[in-house]
Amino acid sequence: MTQVLSNFIKALRASDVRVSTAESIDAAAALELVGFEHRTLIKEALGQVLAKTPDDKSRFNDCFERFFTFEALSGDDALAGEQGGDDAQREGAAGDDAGQGGSGGGGAGGLAAMLERGDGAALQQALASAARNVQLQNIRLFTQRGMYIRRILEDMGIEPLDDFLFALLKANDDDPRALKLKEQKARLIENVAELVDRQMLMYTANAWPKLREEVLQKTPLARIEMRDFKVMQELVRKLAKRLVSLHSRRRHVSKRGQLDVRHTIRKNIEYDGLLFETVWKRVRVDRPKVIAVCDVSGSVAQVARFLLLFLYSVAEVLPKVRAFAFSSHLGEVTQLFETKPVEDAVIETVNTYGMGSTDYGGALAELERLTLADIDQRTTVIILGDARSNYGDAGERSLRRIHERARRVLWLNPEPMAFWNSGDSEMQKLGAACDKVESCRSLKHLERVVSEIARTAI
Amino acid sequence: MTTATPNAALAALADIQRGFQSSGYIASDAIATCVYIAQALAKPILVEGPPGVGKTELANATAKLLDKPLIRLQCYEGLDESKALYEWKYGKQLLYTQVLKEKLGDLMQGAQGLKESIARLHEFDDTFFNEEFLEPRPLLKALWAPQGAVLLIDEIDKSDQEFEAFLLELLQDYQISIPEIGTVKAKHPPVVFLTSNNTREIGDALKRRCLHLYIPFPDAKLEQRIIESRVPALEAGLRTQLVAFVQSLRGLDLKKVPAVSETIDWARTLLLLHAAELEPTLVRQTLNVLLKFQDDIEHVDAEVPALTRQAAKNA
Repeated sequence: MTQVLSNFIKALRASDVRVSTAESIDAAAALELVGFEHRTLIKEALGQVLAKTPDDKSRFNDCFERFFTFEALSGDDALAGEQGGDDAQREGAAGDDAGQGGSGGGGAGGLAAMLERGDGAALQQALASAARNVQLQNIRLFTQRGMYIRRILEDMGIEPLDDFLFALLKANDDDPRALKLKEQKARLIENVAELVDRQMLMYTANAWPKLREEVLQKTPLARIEMRDFKVMQELVRKLAKRLVSLHSRRRHVSKRGQLDVRHTIRKNIEYDGLLFETVWKRVRVDRPKVIAVCDVSGSVAQVARFLLLFLYSVAEVLPKVRAFAFSSHLGEVTQLFETKPVEDAVIETVNTYGMGSTDYGGALAELERLTLADIDQRTTVIILGDARSNYGDAGERSLRRIHERARRVLWLNPEPMAFWNSGDSEMQKLGAACDKVESCRSLKHLERVVSEIARTAI
Repeated sequence: MTTATPNAALAALADIQRGFQSSGYIASDAIATCVYIAQALAKPILVEGPPGVGKTELANATAKLLDKPLIRLQCYEGLDESKALYEWKYGKQLLYTQVLKEKLGDLMQGAQGLKESIARLHEFDDTFFNEEFLEPRPLLKALWAPQGAVLLIDEIDKSDQEFEAFLLELLQDYQISIPEIGTVKAKHPPVVFLTSNNTREIGDALKRRCLHLYIPFPDAKLEQRIIESRVPALEAGLRTQLVAFVQSLRGLDLKKVPAVSETIDWARTLLLLHAAELEPTLVRQTLNVLLKFQDDIEHVDAEVPALTRQAAKNA
């Protein structure tokens, strides 16, 4: 039974329920307690021990239902139906025949006999034990499907069965008994295939989405297809959640005060040095203001979309984000993001500002006019763009003035570094007026950047 | 396998359910199973679910069932160990020093020099930091309870993360460390319930040490049984109508859907008003018992006749 339980836990983990070793031990203890007779009882007990969030619970329920299916082999009824009264006598004979004829000994004859008898329960048992013997729970890829089917059949003793069948057919080309056995064998193979498919679904159901997420994280954002957007948004949300929990926790810890001896002495000089008033160390709560400026012209729009999505998903640690979008002219979209769901706001932004050729000079000048008064030493300015100004003014003078007042200016360029400064790219000029210039092409990069900004948000 | 026979488990479950029922708490199979396992494995239970489905009540009922005192700790932001675990009785300690000061002369009589005096002082135990001066708070009380206890740590999600970490030792080994004394271990491990409304995610470490019980809104049948046990005077026909009405309310898009506690309140209200059956005007007048937001009341108001009719039909 422990084998079954550990297989079940394996299946649970495959469907994204996190089960720790301690919890599996608890599960075994709970199972021992409630016994194995009552399915609903087992389900409740295991559910309470293993699945600990509502999400996990629903996944657990799915997995449990799929794992503990005891459906009879399909075709059993048909088999049973064919068993006429006169067949009954033949059965015993068949069993004996197989026992003598099967070169492999009892196992082979057993399979033939089981098939001929239409003994569904015994077949089911043999199938289950064969699946256990070949360790079907280790199946990972659909390419292994054929192999596992073959191995299970071999374990059940298909080879001696084949030999036996061959001998029968050799003796008589259309021996009715052989033909029937052949048909039953085909049905058995079907059943095995079904079992393998079911198992594969259970153990690998989540492997594909996981792999996909991994790949998507590294794919250049500009090349992400429309159909992957939903997954991407989920992914952004997942990453954002992680960042929030990471950074909010730290802020929490550093808020705690300790006695600041130096300041206490200093402060109490006015009371003749009597330590009368205490001063506590305090960590400055520093909420950075973020100004995000996104080029939303064709080439960069995709990346901008995800940067904005990301920034507004971590609102808990970065509460003050102002967002601007531009291509030919610049406008503030903060209001849009505060009133609408982020996804809609992103689309609307791109539609409103995405037309026209990029004009960095104009946009940066406009940015300076709109925000310079608001920029102080706590402000982080993030500019996302490819710095391709169509041979116009790059606007580096405006950017330098912004840089002088801001805490820092980050430039994120979605192009690989090799392409910078080629053609109309003004990266060199603009980069000189920034604290940091980074190539930012995939979700991984974005996460790093946002985390970096949030890190200062103690 | 050394297991008890499954029938024993079933019998134990039935016992628990019967016990709960006698104290007016109707437990679903899931709840009974959880209480049974928790007792047998000596594990705390983390109870989650929407507000008002009887999470706190479960601890009450368990205390009654086991005939043990219920010790309750309400969590809130800023709760720390001096309020949850123990506090030194500073006043008493201060008093003690005064007494000691007076007696010090007698004790030191005949001691030659500082060295000998200190040596003599060392002969005494550490009198200040022992259990005498300890003021137990709920957690320590639960460990000290001579017959064991039911400990309810209510709304753990409202407390800080530090407090959660601090609970881990208690939940795992039923012991706590007091730096001045050492570890205090429970003689009878208390039955521990933690409740959470999910205002924030509970840490994995805590979850791993607990059984997780999710109590959803009850289905119509269970809710009827609950009303029957809580408001027995209510007539059966009205009860089915009322439950059907509330169940359909939960299907609507509301800011806060009515919970079981609100259904019970409503049943009591209707009983007070001597209502014979649900009718739109009556429902409208008493809707504020069920719904706690003006928006929701306005939203439902228009649909009251239809809902009432449907409830009458379903009943």
